[in-house]
Amino acid sequence: MNAPFALGLAALGVAIGLGMIGAGAMNGMSRQPEAIGKLQTAMLIALAFVELVFLLTVFVGMGALPK
Amino acid sequence: MLDLIFRGSFIASGAAAGGESHAADAGHHAVSYTGVMVYVGFVIAILIVCMVLAKKGLNNRFFKNKITASFEQLYYFIENLAVGIIGPHGRKYIPMLMVFWLMIFVSNLVSLFFDTAPTADLGFNLAMALMAIGYVQWEGIRANGVIGHFSHFAGPKLTGALIGINFLIFPIEIISEAMKNLSLTLRLYGNIHGGHQAVTAMNKLGEPWVPVGAFLLPVKLLTCVVQALIFCLLLCVYIGLVTHHEHEEGHAHDDDHGHEDHSATLEPEASPA
Repeated sequence: MNAPFALGLAALGVAIGLGMIGAGAMNGMSRQPEAIGKLQTAMLIALAFVELVFLLTVFVGMGALPK
Repeated sequence: MLDLIFRGSFIASGAAAGGESHAADAGHHAVSYTGVMVYVGFVIAILIVCMVLAKKGLNNRFFKNKITASFEQLYYFIENLAVGIIGPHGRKYIPMLMVFWLMIFVSNLVSLFFDTAPTADLGFNLAMALMAIGYVQWEGIRANGVIGHFSHFAGPKLTGALIGINFLIFPIEIISEAMKNLSLTLRLYGNIHGGHQAVTAMNKLGEPWVPVGAFLLPVKLLTCVVQALIFCLLLCVYIGLVTHHEHEEGHAHDDDHGHEDHSATLEPEASPA
């Protein structure tokens, strides 16, 4: 019971983080469309780092999941 | 399918030598050319066929051949990535970035249609990450010298009693450098393998009739592109971090300001429309 719940919590946090990055990048892009290239690069890097947190959680939590 | 055939023959030949279970175990622990290596070969075959087809279009004045043209576009894309992030001296890393991009992207595409792929395998991803980070260290040492490169890890230059802080920062930076391998590996593996897991889990929803997991295909296609991009992007960032020179950064800064001024002059014209 605990492990799936913990994975869900991790997914919740990471989803909020990804959403905030996306929202921030979209704000920036709409304010300054000529900077889209640079913003996308920075956004993708940030996405990658946030995503990694969830992947690490999955790798740690996977062993505890009930079969 | 291929996998099964090859592994089947492998086990059969091993069974003759020393028992079936023993042979199956050996397949997991030794370097095996039957499992994921078949898929690596498959991906390389796809790439070679594409390149042979692309080479036919090279002699024209401009590329009419569609495959040649798309390789050209890919080259421009990677060039933008390298020059934009690493700086003007990033042009020499383009071949390596192209190889990483093509290998990751094509094996991600393979993973859409097969139950395993090179990038859905931890070992293959770790090998790519080790090569990438090892090359970053090599480039750092070439750009700054051995002592210069490793003093990068010790943080800013502090004096007096504060120098103890450098000794604290150094092991942490070394660990984080080593963790770059892990993060590159796990990100790629988690995304591609996780895609497979998600499809398997969703297939259970409509088990006998509807393969619900197939509806994940567009999302997985997006993941394919993004993961290949992120691997190359992070590699560029890592290379840019260790090879950046002060005077070059100054130039880039000037260029940035020029660009900003330019856009600032453009903006009033654009805003009324």
